[in-house]
Parts: sequence; structure tokens; C-alpha cells
Amino acid sequence: MHIPDGFIDIPAAAVTGAVSLGVVAYAVRKTSADLGERTVPLLGVTAAFVFAAQMLNFPIAGGTSGHFLGAALAAALMGPWAATVVMTVVVVVQALGMADGGITALGANVLNMGVVAVLAGWGLLHLLKRLLPRSRSGYLVALAVASWASVVVAAAAAAAELAVSGTVPLRLALPAMLSVHMVIGLGEALITCAVVVAVLATRPDLVNSAGPSGGFARRPEPAPAAATIARPGASGADRLSARPAGRMRLWAFIAAALVVAVALAVLISPFASSSPDGLERVAADQGFEAAAAEGPVWDLSPLGDYQFPWIGGERVSTAVAGLLGTLALFVIVLLVGRAYGRRRIRPADRSDPGSDPV
Amino acid sequence: MDPDLDTPHPAAASSSGSVLHRLDPRAKIIGFIGLVVLVVSTPARSAWAFILYFAVLLFIVGAARLPLRQVFRRVLIVVPFVAVVAVFVPFYHQTGAGGYDLGDLRVTGEGLLVLWNVGAKAMLGVLSMIVLGSTTGFAGLVDGFARLRAPKVFLLIVSFMYRYAFVFADEARRMRRAVAARNFRARWLWNTPVLGNVVGALFVRSYGRGERVYVAMVSRGYEGTVPLGGTASFGRAEALFLSLLLGVAAVIRVVASLGGAG
Repeated sequence: MHIPDGFIDIPAAAVTGAVSLGVVAYAVRKTSADLGERTVPLLGVTAAFVFAAQMLNFPIAGGTSGHFLGAALAAALMGPWAATVVMTVVVVVQALGMADGGITALGANVLNMGVVAVLAGWGLLHLLKRLLPRSRSGYLVALAVASWASVVVAAAAAAAELAVSGTVPLRLALPAMLSVHMVIGLGEALITCAVVVAVLATRPDLVNSAGPSGGFARRPEPAPAAATIARPGASGADRLSARPAGRMRLWAFIAAALVVAVALAVLISPFASSSPDGLERVAADQGFEAAAAEGPVWDLSPLGDYQFPWIGGERVSTAVAGLLGTLALFVIVLLVGRAYGRRRIRPADRSDPGSDPV
Repeated sequence: MDPDLDTPHPAAASSSGSVLHRLDPRAKIIGFIGLVVLVVSTPARSAWAFILYFAVLLFIVGAARLPLRQVFRRVLIVVPFVAVVAVFVPFYHQTGAGGYDLGDLRVTGEGLLVLWNVGAKAMLGVLSMIVLGSTTGFAGLVDGFARLRAPKVFLLIVSFMYRYAFVFADEARRMRRAVAARNFRARWLWNTPVLGNVVGALFVRSYGRGERVYVAMVSRGYEGTVPLGGTASFGRAEALFLSLLLGVAAVIRVVASLGGAG
């Protein structure tokens, strides 16, 4: 998803760059205020971790593989603002150090992977945590859906940016990006959940979003989750084998997750639209036929107005509306999550550097 | 051993001493980012302009005595992205005049222009960033951005991250090898949770290391900032380099938009 130079035109690069700069500046300030002098070592090391984890490709089927993004994981572990900084650092280093992702597309890449993916993942995680039962399974289902959605939503944002820049029409870019990333998102969800389970087993104090103030760890019954906090690494096996609260509840979670997934699909499908000719074949091949049947016609033809992308009349403004709509969705999710969420306990408050157990 | 973990290691970066290597990082940062912005904003129809940009960059690669073969191998990173756009070309601008018919689909000149636009610009962008990175080095880049007044906290996190990224990548590689040595082969999507355990262990180890490093820093007098800054200064050579590079690029850019569809 690292967009190279030339795929994003200058106006789109300027807009995405300005938005990213604003959000990241806010995130840096917020995180520095929260973590103080620990900001640099802890965020730097976490960014290095995300960078290393992104190199582990996970299999999809046979030979093909996707790679881990880590935005939702970082948000679940460190909260949204620290995660935004972490992901931004990763994207910036990849662009400057390894020429992975363009320098003019840096704003767009930061927006997709550092801002949109993190905030969508975090917002959805907190929203679902409120809706689902307060238990380990409920938390993990919320985490799975949130991390899946973070990848899909970031892909949608990338498609919108490519379309606004006139590189690929939205009616092609969006279904293609979404269908690919809906599959890649499954791997993302599996890895994110497995990572969080593994971290909960050894260092539960590091999982910000599962903390006692809002997560499952404070549930009233004497849960193994709450018991091991004081003894890091002591009884990981117990925690890993902990059973969910009950079969009935498990089915309730699955039903809830299904409802959310369907709702997401309904929200996204209007973007995938009908088109007269060649696209129908692609749409059918990719299983988007049903979704494409009744959408509005998104006829974004990039070339006629390629050199003057802002004078393209309604076609371009439709694409801009798509981008704004996508962003508005994240903002709403974020605000709702925020309204439901309570104050979180930061890792900094929990672990005393003087008596570092590691 | 494990191809998907193969990354350019910082120790492998080229560090031969050419004039370009010795320039103040600020000049190179402004010069090459400015060049990429000019390239990206150039209208695609002026094909000759991109050839000239390419010639300018090729000249710089030669002047910096960078290994051509390695540089171009790294430029190939853009090929998959361009290939994705190429797949879409037959599907848009169905009504455009000319082009080739492929059954129901047609490849039009307009479609190919988009492909050329994206391919040429992505290639030139990556080439510029490779030249910038390999003549400056990561520490030089951080130093340059610091003296261009980029926010310090952010730069400190970036340099910290760069310091540990390859340590953790090596650690991930070792863990992956350990998993492979126990006969695990990740083939299907449902094998993924095993990798999740690997990543989870990696996070716990990384974070633990971060905490230890923090304690070590505090015990050595760390109070929240680290001095950044190199010794290079912005002199006549830097001014000459900047004005030549951006001057030539700006002339190409202006002539291209004056309508020279050569």
C-alpha cells in the first residue's frame, strides 16, 4: 500500500500532506505530554518493532502472501495518538531510508497507514468493545473486526486518492483495492489477535486497550486475565488456555461481528458501482457483481482533465466527495468510540522503570 | 536464507567519498525533494522532459560514483505498482479515439499516457530518493532535517527507530528460522496465528529492550533530548549544487508546460 511518486498528483499530495501534518503534529504533542521523556525511547522502539513485523509476510493461499500493517495493533497496544506517531515514523523511514513509497506521496501514505488505519482501527475497537460483552472473547472479536477494517479502510482511502489524482478511476480502483485488502485484512486480524493474546500472556500491562478502565480485564469473576498482572510471564500457559465465558455468549459475539461486517459491506458497496462494459467482467471475476448492480455510476474519467484536476466539474467533485465521505466515516467512528470510551491507563503509569522486571 | 525478510541493511549502504557525499545534507534534501516535486508536476505529454530529468539523474549517479547495477535493481521496486496500473489501462477511456482493440476492451493512447505518466514519475522519484539516501546516509538525513527545523521529538524517534529496526529485523529472522527448524511451513491463511505468536514475542522483547534502554539512558543523564547535528556547513559548493540542479530542472519543467509536446 506504499504509493510511489507520480501516482498522486500535486494538488492531492498537498491536501493529504497538510491533513497528515496537522494530525501528526497533534499526535506528537499529545504523546509527548502523556509519555514525557519516555516518548523517544518507547515510541522509537515500538516503531522499530512495527518495521520488523511488517517484514513477516503471512500466507494467503498457496504461494501468495500479504504483509502485516500493524496500525490496529499499535493502536490497541499504545492508544491512538502514540500509534499514529509510530506508524508515521515507520512510513517516513520507509520513504527516506528505503525508497519504499514516494516522497510526494508521503502525505497520502501517512494519511492512509498512519492516520486513517490507526484511527479507524482504534475507533472501531472501542465502539465494538462497548457493544460486545465484556470478556476476553468479546475483546478479541472487537480487535479482529477493527484490525480487519483498518486495512480495508486504509485501502479505500488509497483508492480514493489514486482516483482524485486521475491515476485509476474510482470505479476500478475501489473494488480492486477493497477485494484484495478484504482478504489481506483476514491475515491482519489473525496476526493482531495472536499478538495481543501473546502479549497479554506475558506483559498484560502493555496492552493499553485491554486495560482495567475499559477492557475485559476488570470483569468481576476471578478471571485469569486479572490474576497475572502482578506476575509478568508467570502463568502464560493458563491465560492462553483460558476458555471464553460460555458458548451462548460466544455465538452472540459472532452474530454481532457478522452484523458489523454486513453493515460495513453495505456502507462500502455504494462505491463499487455499475459500469457498462469491461468492468463488469472484472467485477464478476472479483465477486463484486452483486454489490455493483445498484450503485450510482461513478464515471471518473481522469484523462480529459488530467492537467487541471480541480476544474473537472462534477466528476472530480464526486471523487472528492468519496474521499471526504470515507474520512467522515472514520471521524464519526472515532467520535462515537471516544464518547463511549473512558480514560485509559497508559503503560507509563503501570510499569515503574526503576523496578523493570525484564 | 529467508527471501521475504531480505532488507537493505544500513551497513550495506554505499559510502564512497565523492563531492556529492560531502555536501551539506540540507542542500541535498532540498535539491532532490524539489526535483521530485518538479518531476511529478510535469505534464505527462512532454515525454522529452522526463528523458532529460533521467539524464540529469544519471549524470548525478555517475558523479557520485554509485554502483549503477545496484541502483537500478532498487529502482525495480516500482514495477509491481506500475504493473497494477497497466492492468487497468484497457478498462478506461473506452471512447477514446485510436488505440488497439482487444475484444471488448481497447487500449487507447490516453490510457497509455496515464501508464507512462505513472511509470516515468515513479521511476524518477525512486531514483532521486535512492541517490539522496545513498549519498547522504540516514544519520546525515536526520541531521539535515534537524537543521531545516523539522520537529526534534519526531526526528529523535526516527533515529531511535532506525537504530533498532535492523536489530529487530535480525531478531525476527532468527525467530522465523527457529519456527522453520521445528518444521512449520506457513502455507495457508489459517497458519497465520503461529506467525502472530512470533510477532507477539517480538513485541514483548522489543518493548522490554526499549524499557532497558530507557533506564540505561536515564542513568547516563538523559533528560528528554539528545543533541543532534553534524559539522557540514552550507557554503559555495552547496549553493552551486542547488542552483544547478533546481535551475536545470525548473527550465525543463517550464518549457514542458509551455506546450512543447515533443
